Amino acid sequence: MTLPLEGIRVVDLSRVFAMPYCGAYLADMGAEVIKVETHHNQFVDTTRTLNGPYPDNEPGELHWERAGTYHTLNHGKLSVTLDLRSQEALELLKQLVAVSDVVLENFTPRVMRRFGLDYANLKAVKPDVIMVSNTGYGHSGPWTDFGAMATALEPTHGTGAFTGYLDVDGEGNTSPGTVPNKIANSYTDFLASWTAQLAVMASLFHRARTGQGMWIDLAMYQVGASFMGEGLLDFAFNGRRTRRIGNRHETWSPHGCYPCLGNDEWVVMAVRNDAEWAAFCGVLEMPELASDPRFNEPVARHANQDALDAVISEWTGSRDKYRVMAMLQSVGVPAGPVFNARDMLSDPHFRSRGYFETAEHPQSTQLGEREYVSRGWRMSRNDVRIHKAAPLLGEDNAYVLSGVLGLSDSRVAELEAADAVGASLKGSRVPSSVPLDRQVELGWTVDYDAGYRERQPPSHGD
Amino acid sequence: MMAGILEGVRVLEMGGNVSAPFCAKLLADYGADVIKVESPHVGDEARRMGPFVDDDPHPDKSVPFLYLNTNKRGVTLDPATVAGEKLLGQLLHNADILIENYPPEEKPTPLLETGALAERFPSLIATSITAFGQTGPYRNHAATDLVATAMSGLMYHSGDSDQEPLRNALNQSYYVAGINGAVASTAALFQRMTTGLGQSIDVSTVECLASHLVQAVPYYSYMGAIKGRRPVRGSGFEELMPARDGYVIPSVQGSQPWTTVADLIGVPELHDERFASGSGRIEYGEEIYNLLVQGLAQWDRKALHQASGERRLVFGMAQDAGDLVECPHLRERDFFRTVNHPVAGEAVYPGLGPRLSGMNYAVERAAPLLGQHNREIYRDELGHTDAELAQWRALEVI
Repeated sequence: MTLPLEGIRVVDLSRVFAMPYCGAYLADMGAEVIKVETHHNQFVDTTRTLNGPYPDNEPGELHWERAGTYHTLNHGKLSVTLDLRSQEALELLKQLVAVSDVVLENFTPRVMRRFGLDYANLKAVKPDVIMVSNTGYGHSGPWTDFGAMATALEPTHGTGAFTGYLDVDGEGNTSPGTVPNKIANSYTDFLASWTAQLAVMASLFHRARTGQGMWIDLAMYQVGASFMGEGLLDFAFNGRRTRRIGNRHETWSPHGCYPCLGNDEWVVMAVRNDAEWAAFCGVLEMPELASDPRFNEPVARHANQDALDAVISEWTGSRDKYRVMAMLQSVGVPAGPVFNARDMLSDPHFRSRGYFETAEHPQSTQLGEREYVSRGWRMSRNDVRIHKAAPLLGEDNAYVLSGVLGLSDSRVAELEAADAVGASLKGSRVPSSVPLDRQVELGWTVDYDAGYRERQPPSHGD
Repeated sequence: MMAGILEGVRVLEMGGNVSAPFCAKLLADYGADVIKVESPHVGDEARRMGPFVDDDPHPDKSVPFLYLNTNKRGVTLDPATVAGEKLLGQLLHNADILIENYPPEEKPTPLLETGALAERFPSLIATSITAFGQTGPYRNHAATDLVATAMSGLMYHSGDSDQEPLRNALNQSYYVAGINGAVASTAALFQRMTTGLGQSIDVSTVECLASHLVQAVPYYSYMGAIKGRRPVRGSGFEELMPARDGYVIPSVQGSQPWTTVADLIGVPELHDERFASGSGRIEYGEEIYNLLVQGLAQWDRKALHQASGERRLVFGMAQDAGDLVECPHLRERDFFRTVNHPVAGEAVYPGLGPRLSGMNYAVERAAPLLGQHNREIYRDELGHTDAELAQWRALEVI
């Protein structure tokens, strides 16, 4: 088996979530992805130092090599350190671009110009380079110089207009929500990552046909808005600005998220028509529900959801979420548990498809083997997967500097002496970690399993 | 400069609803020639999906359908008929990529089974998008956007920790699956330039969304901890907070000192050493929250966002559809395109997310009417006669 991106070299200058994750996917597809890092703490990718999580909540002396989110976002890459404050390092970076195919970066427009690493300059050293410049607001327009982070950008591009709980009055009656809410999990970062991957693939195809490179000006705000398309077009046609209906549906009912046995355990279900409604009432063994004039046809049922949801919540509340899924799916009603990470890691479906992929980490990290989320697709001819763990800081300095760029040993030694390259993070302190009990108190963590590594997947049999 | 960099790539789209149409729309927006195949009887189910233009439930006035199907040509075809299957074979013979989203065991003809496609069309890239994928114990489970979002793990983290998990905006699971399908399809297309071989691609909506969990999953696999929804208690930073005319997200991110943040919010008491560190903002969260509420009440959303940007802070704000359609920044970046549809009328449509230096994004076509290009494709391109077309229409093949 081959891989789609064999022979493609990617220079990954990016930080945080969106573009690093794009680079990791390109590595899974066979590209040689060189992550350009720095060993100076104040400029290092913050996912090495600020996000954790650390094995057993212990950062350790080599903490920057032990952060789980960094490893998730950077698997499969090589790492070279180049301190871009040095003119020599900048020149080396340009030499690297000259022998590469794709550049990923997410500096602000101002910083890229200051470094002289903007598209015009990189095109001069590599005329057919494909470059992704990922920023909050893009390289043009009145907000071009504004910085952004996904968590605050998400509602700015409109998610909160269409995500939100219903309002509830004093008597328990519901109405469309007036308060925006969030998808969370840095949602916009992933939209940007998928968008960049598609643009890179299409540009590689285009380059192979025409010999032309490409500059991809990826504004996360604009990308986010493009995923709100049907909502924006509803305004353009009908003037509607928001649609916050909690977990309900415009026409189907019941349609919602209901409590199950246990702490923070939930199940969702959707009844799309009268046939499913009849089957649903059969599963609940409540024939009186099926004949109740409040619920026995779609319009009435939709109008009386507050009453219906109360009945359903009582029924689900004493049942296991997997059990509810099995009962409803047995009659063809869409239903499923709201999975948390523990559920997913032990779920028979994810396991049978090999969704979680394993990386073996170097001894020095004391991480051993860990499981990571992979990707939502498989190709019949390709072994696309996590081929190796994320790199140690500067792990591939020798390969990149001597092997790729052809520097002599003495030149490499000079760079090290000048502190332009290095393999140990300078100026960092071991971060403090908040104990898991305290995290539960603060609401950051719902619960934890001290024996998670030995835990056997639970059986979900009846 | 080319109109689209996938110009000349031929895509066949089957199924309907959102995921496959969005996947094919992206390819069309990059310049591919997309033929959308609909059932001659009822068409794509998205035609019956609201909201509708003027709230009129007409099959050419579904807003999601209008958005998802720009830049495509449309034909009708019943692949379960003998003549229909033959026509489908001709369309597939001419196609580089097939995008479909039938449930694994509900493909309308055996011709669309993975094995049959690989045998008859070895250079075809056949991308199947389903909720759970083509294998595994849940492959035949009934699913909707809500179910896929719940089982992806994403929903567990959406909403407030003292309420139930919250569904995400606007069928997002299908959009995320669609773009992932487009990524894999174009990767296969690029690879085919050297191998000449097609392949099948199995896209799972649930797994596409699960890939967003780059924090929650290592929380468990590194320390056994279950990350939940965002806590309702806290300082209020990085959360939606009320301003004078709506909601904003104050943020301490963006590498500026605390004094810059405190200055912007404009409450003198925020200039307190205790609040300047992350751990201090956890410790004194409630105190900060109250000061923040006081300060933000003096600001309008857009003015605060502007002032934040000018200070290199990264505050956000809750914008609605009207704010976005009228946004001067998106307008200056040429994000919108005016599209005229013969039944739905004219409107400004949101365009492509990224801007590419080597391509002019354009909307050349509004969403097709049912069977709008039957004659153009079946007669002019595949060489069938008007008499054949008339017969197929009578037999409800097309």
